[in-house]
Amino acid sequence: MVSSRSWWVMFALMGPLVGVSFINAVRSYAEASGQGGTAAALSDTLFPLDGVVAPTFSAYEIAASFLLPFVAIRAVAGDRQSGALKLELQQGMPPIAMIGAKGFVLLLAWLLAGLPIALAGVFWVSYGGSLYPPELMSLLIGHVLNAGVVIALAAAAASLSEHPSTAAILVLTFTVGTWVLSFVAAFQGGIWEQIASYTPSEMLQAFRRGLIRLDLIIAGLIFIAAGFVLAAIWMRLGAPLRRKAVESIAVLTVSAILLIGASFVRPNWDVSENQRNSFSESQTAILSSIRTPLRIQAHLAPEDPRRFDLEQQTLSKLRRTMPDVTVAYVSQTSTGLFEQANANYGEIRYDLGGKKAVSQITTPRGVLDTIYELAGVPLPQEGSASQPGHPLVAEPRGAFSLFYIVWPLAAFSLALFFQRRRLT
Amino acid sequence: MQSIEPDELESFENNAPLENSIMSVARLSKTYGRIRALEKVSLSIRPGEILGLIGPNGAGKTTLFECVAGLEPADEGAVLFGTSGANGRHRSSTLFYVPDGIAPWPDQPVRWVLEFSLGYFGGRQSSYSAVVDDLALAPLMRVPVGALSKGQRKRVLLALGLLAPQPVLLIDEPFEGLDLRQSRDAVIALRRHLTPDRTFFLSIHQIAAAAKICDRFLLLSEGRVVEEGNLEDLTVLAGERLRREPSDFEEVFLALT
Repeated sequence: MVSSRSWWVMFALMGPLVGVSFINAVRSYAEASGQGGTAAALSDTLFPLDGVVAPTFSAYEIAASFLLPFVAIRAVAGDRQSGALKLELQQGMPPIAMIGAKGFVLLLAWLLAGLPIALAGVFWVSYGGSLYPPELMSLLIGHVLNAGVVIALAAAAASLSEHPSTAAILVLTFTVGTWVLSFVAAFQGGIWEQIASYTPSEMLQAFRRGLIRLDLIIAGLIFIAAGFVLAAIWMRLGAPLRRKAVESIAVLTVSAILLIGASFVRPNWDVSENQRNSFSESQTAILSSIRTPLRIQAHLAPEDPRRFDLEQQTLSKLRRTMPDVTVAYVSQTSTGLFEQANANYGEIRYDLGGKKAVSQITTPRGVLDTIYELAGVPLPQEGSASQPGHPLVAEPRGAFSLFYIVWPLAAFSLALFFQRRRLT
Repeated sequence: MQSIEPDELESFENNAPLENSIMSVARLSKTYGRIRALEKVSLSIRPGEILGLIGPNGAGKTTLFECVAGLEPADEGAVLFGTSGANGRHRSSTLFYVPDGIAPWPDQPVRWVLEFSLGYFGGRQSSYSAVVDDLALAPLMRVPVGALSKGQRKRVLLALGLLAPQPVLLIDEPFEGLDLRQSRDAVIALRRHLTPDRTFFLSIHQIAAAAKICDRFLLLSEGRVVEEGNLEDLTVLAGERLRREPSDFEEVFLALT
């Protein structure tokens, strides 16, 4: 990779990209922590995962969307364009091994390009900020999976197309397509929402919240494997077109079946410091003991903010906790603006083994109370102690010069050094 | 590509003698849309010889090489190594094909490319110095392949071929881009590195260079093998067609294609 100019460009740009994310995040965190007179109650709920760590890692996501594909395409398509592939294929190594080796090197190079994020972490700790290793692990898993998917996709596109620019267009089309899908899902809900939850950007969301979901890991690995197998199929210059097409359809079909299977995988781990993806221990104990199937029908449009709160604060946790829970959203429009007059709009209907209830409350407390009532279990005694946050008023000292000046210069010098060393 | 039993080869048209052949091609055909690039091409190659594939532009020389090397799918026909059909393992252990007009690993210096190929293909380490000397590559060792001239790049490609461990070496246009002196040096280098267990199959359109280096010739025209034999055989055939003795190999070629 050290001979790849595109990798060095990405390596150099990672500094400013991480810098702008980190510096803005530290300043915003300081403001929310009380700098300038913010309410103390707000600062008590602040955690670095939301305020600093995830925003800093977002630079990695931007680079994965807009820089990494070009590095990967160049690494794969470059050999085809220069004719090196014609020589390499004669060695007898299976194409999947060749593309797998390239993918592995690209992933290592990607991790190396993330060095500025590690430096941002060092800065943060030096300011007195706290880091929670399991949350970092969750973010790292999410971003490595995301990078793996991008590399596999770029490899497949580079193998499929005759020219690198065509491959770049294909990858960008896919990326923009997933954004459109997420947008449509936000409006339409239902099956679109389910499909969109497996797009790379949506998959990252869970890991950003400190939730490690096995189904997402499996889905990511299926995407990666499918991308590399497709790349290997189309890399074989001597195979007839029809055979490549049939094999590609088979790979896509098998991948789709495996993805559907993966969507039923339930194990997940809330590794966030404040257990934001889970109910309290006492509530979890009661909810997990309710074996009766629970059906919830929420009459809320996809763009209704109450639906977002209900999903994020309560239903997503409920799905993780109760053994048998089914949620269905019902709406006739995407915004809900013209459904407000409808008598049923805003209702949340519960059916627990035939016992029914209707409520319009979307808060966690309100939803859980309704479920406890239907199940006939006493309300748990909730302690007032919750995980305190880690507010921090700090200036991003030294970050500006390191990320905006030192890093690009160091990257440029290293690129020159390796270039000279290669040619001597 | 369809597989063909070795004993079926006996009945093939244009089939060269099979005794001691290291590699045979049987009834290889290839079309690009409506264009018939190769039409039932059959040939065989003997160990220790330099076989020249001669033909005008568009005759199908490169297509034939790419199909034989497994880099282009043939519509029908077979490639046989000894008495075995061509599977990936046989092919990669028996032949190495050097395409024309490529600039492999363009960002890397020549030294890296040669050393990488030695390691990657398990090449002839013992021949390294001799190949570098014979092809005058020493001054180019630090130059990236992408920065080389056409002739310099061709010399690097020839070196890659000569360092390859496989017994059969296919080179597409080995003298393309070389000046007169370089062509002569390349002919000498190829001859020097030809051993009894090694075979060169060269696609050449420079008739004069072909006449200097090849032991046997295969004339390809419009995707068909039109004649096959050594210089004397072909001269006699051309003489019969011209009804006089041809003056040089160029006239032989023109008479037969």
